[in-house]
Formats: sequence, C-alpha cells, structure tokens
Amino acid sequence: MPAARFSGLQKDVLRLYRECMRAAYAKPKENREHWVTFVHSQFNKYRNLPRRDFSTIEYLLRVGKKRYQMYKASDAKDVI
Amino acid sequence: MFVHTQLKKAVTVSKLMRSISSLVGRVSEKPNPKTFKIYRWNPDFPEKKPHMESYTLDMNTTGPMMLDVLLKVKNEVDSTLTFRRSCREGICGSCAMNINGRNTLACITKINKSDGKDVDIYPLPHMYVEKDLVPDLTLFYQQYKSIQPYLQTSKPPPEKENIQSIEDRKKLDGLYECILCACCSTSCPSYWWNQQEYLGPAVLMQAYRWMVDSRDGATEKRRQMLQNSMSLYRCHTIMNCARTCPKGLNPGRAIAAIKRAMATE
Amino acid sequence: MIFARLGIKTLGTALRPAVHSPLHHSVFRPASACLSRSLFIKTIPQPVGNIVGNVNDAYVGPTPNKFTGSRHWTFERAVTICMTPLMITPFITGSISAPIDAAMAGLLLYHCYAGWESCIIDYIPRRVYGVWHTAAMWLLIFGTAVSGYGVYVLETSSAGGLWGLCKRIWKHKKED
Repeated sequence: MPAARFSGLQKDVLRLYRECMRAAYAKPKENREHWVTFVHSQFNKYRNLPRRDFSTIEYLLRVGKKRYQMYKASDAKDVI
Repeated sequence: MFVHTQLKKAVTVSKLMRSISSLVGRVSEKPNPKTFKIYRWNPDFPEKKPHMESYTLDMNTTGPMMLDVLLKVKNEVDSTLTFRRSCREGICGSCAMNINGRNTLACITKINKSDGKDVDIYPLPHMYVEKDLVPDLTLFYQQYKSIQPYLQTSKPPPEKENIQSIEDRKKLDGLYECILCACCSTSCPSYWWNQQEYLGPAVLMQAYRWMVDSRDGATEKRRQMLQNSMSLYRCHTIMNCARTCPKGLNPGRAIAAIKRAMATE
Repeated sequence: MIFARLGIKTLGTALRPAVHSPLHHSVFRPASACLSRSLFIKTIPQPVGNIVGNVNDAYVGPTPNKFTGSRHWTFERAVTICMTPLMITPFITGSISAPIDAAMAGLLLYHCYAGWESCIIDYIPRRVYGVWHTAAMWLLIFGTAVSGYGVYVLETSSAGGLWGLCKRIWKHKKED
C-alpha cells in the first residue's frame, strides 16, 4: 500500500497536531491526560471541515499556532 | 412705562425663542437616516464567509464622528460588533480602519450627515482579520521592535537631562507625532505585496526618527540594518502613506531622507 | 507570457476588495496561497500568519548587502539623472552624434533593466517563488543581452542609432 500523500496544508495541520501532542507530554504527569483530551477536543471541533476550505483551514492553523505557543509555556500547568 | 416696554420686549423675545425652538424641534423630528455597511466576520464560525452588514441609523440622534456610529451600533443595535477603540481623540491609534476606501481613525473622521450616501467600513486592508474590524498587527509590531525604537548611546548617562538644542529638537517634528496606527503601512501597495520583508512606512519613519535624534549613537547600526533590497528599498514613492495619514504626517519624506542619508554616507 | 500573467494575477487578487470574493475570509491572503492553487506553480509555503517565531520576537531582516541596498539605489538614480539631458538634447537640436546616442541607448537599457528587476523583486519575490524568481531574473538578463545586441547593431549600422530609428518610425507613420 503506498504511503498516504498529503497536501501542504494537511501536512501543516498534522505538524501542528504533533507539536501540540509533544507539548502535552511535556506537561506534569498528573495533568497530561487533561492536555491530551484538550488537544483532541480542539482538533475534533473542525474534523468535518471540507478539505478544500483553504481559507478556513489557514485561519485555524494561524490561531492554532498562536494558542499552541501560549499553552506551551511552562507556566501553564493544567487545563480543564 | 419703561418697565412695561422692557417686559413687552421680553415677552416677544421669549415668544420668538419658543417658535424657533419648536421649528428646530420639528426639523429634528424629521428622520435623517444613513446606512453604514460594516464588514463582519466571526472567528467562532470560521467556515462562514465574511459579509457586509447594513445598519441604518438616524443621524439626528448620532454623534458627529464615525466612532460614535460604531459605538451606537454596538450599544443599541448589535452588541456583537467588534472593533478596537480607546481614546476617542486620535491619539491612541486603536480605531484605525478603512472607511469609504480610506484608512483613517474612526474617532477623528466626521460623518457627512447630509449627503445621503452609504458608508462602507472595512478593517485595515491586507491584514489578517481577528474579528470584524480588528486586524492582526503582530507582524507590524514585530517589525517595529526590529528597528529598536529606543535611545541607544555609548556615552555615560548625563547628570540631569539629556539636553538637545532647539534645532536638533526641531528635526523630530513631524516624526515623533506618529501613533503607530498602521494606517499608512496598510495603504502601501509595496507593503501589501511584500509585508514579510518590507518594513512599511510607519516603521521606517520611526527608524528615521531615531536616526536623526541627536542623542542617539546607533545611527550606523540602524542604517546597516536597512542595507538590503527589501527592508527599505521596496518603497517606490507611491506616497499613499502621506495621503492617508490621519495625523497629517509624511512617512514618504522620512523614507526619502533615509535613502538620501544612506546614499551619501 | 507566464510572468506577466503572474504579475497580473497577483495584482488582480490583491486589488479586489476584501469581501466581494467569498473565498477570502481575511482581507489579506498570501499571494502564494492563491497562486499555488490557481496557476499550479509550486510556491514556497510561508510561515503561518507571516509570523516567524514568538509574538514577542523582533522581525529579522535579510543580511545587509550594500550592493543590493544603497549602492544599487544610488546607481539607479545616477543613471536616470545622466539620461535626462541625453534624452532631451536630440529633441532640441534635431540631430545627435553617434557616441552620445550610444550612451543614451546604453543608459536607457540599464534603466529598463533596473525597472524590470524591481518589478520581479516586487511580484515574483524569492521568498515565495524561489527558483522562479531566479528564472525570471535570468530571463531578464537574457532579454537585456538581446536588446544590448540590438543596440549594438543599431549603433554600428548606418541606421543612425536609436534616435535615427525613432525618427524614421515617426516619419514613416506620417506618410501613411
């Protein structure tokens, strides 16, 4: 089976997701689950977005990156 | 007799006043509607495309400025309308937006109440939109930070004030008044195409403001930073900046002065 | 020509008011994103929201280079200033000597080169188009070389140089 080929935008989304998960695992152990569920909930919100809705995806990526940088900071310990 | 005449006069005057006031009252009762089309986009529903929403207001009950209209809409018609505002006197630069195709501050733009034309209000052009009329100015501020807009000197700090001659101080006139509202940068076609690399008129004018400051010692370093084809030399003297500046400044001239200084150094 | 189309396309997408196109949710969309989909030219993906690093980081410009910066600008102005009298003289005197005509043609050639170069830097920036930018530059250099050869032929033949050519075209039109 050939490897799935993603468009540039899809790769960007996956990259952001991976970064978010890495940041989640860098958080204190007891809160890790919260972070993972949080990331999942945020990504699942727009799961059904049409693949060709570029402008929306670009916007969400932009905001996602901003929020990722904010939540990544070590001051943020837990999320509900 | 005299008193009587005076009294009579007073009565007539008061009658006259009353009739005038009733006349004025009748005039103001006649509604003077004006339609404002405002750009709306809600980030909570990013899949919904932006649209123009029309608000018709009676001009008799509205203040004189565009910001009054926006506030009235927000207070009385649609509280979800989002825009930045702060000082309402053109000194903070928060309410920069595109009104009738011109980048200005809403708080110092007068409404023409009698022309009967619709008003179009957009956020600053060619910027990412946060919501409704709020643009994302992150890049603009990053660029402003890159020119190091603060006094740099190797001399030891003076005993009291850092004194400047009157002539040297005069060089800063027309530069220091900039409020960084980003009206000029976002009106510049060069900035539209290459905003990732071209610094834009507002930031370049501030760069010049620090270059000509007699107390600053980092002029050489500041110039060196602009020595490439993108940061400064994307200015093609289109002069939209000077035309749109709500404070009446001329960033184009400041950029020309930088170019001249760099050519003769 | 593809580059002309590129330029026009960028202009078209950007000059359009924000909302009239349903595709645009933000007023500004990077030209790269529009073009990569409309013209099938691979462009370099840009940083999200044009922001490199943290929101509190300062923007970092290209490395300083005097020859693309102030020297280039000064040279361009100098050429333009030199050109002005050369362009006006033949109109006043009605004729022009061969070396002056050659100088005018040469300077005009550089002036056109600099103008086009500026257009390429503006509309086909290396940041977005990478190799296409280089290709456009080489195409411009090639075009300039061909024009340079044309100028050489004009100046060395009995045509009377650039001024003579203009004169003949003008007169030819009048006879029609």
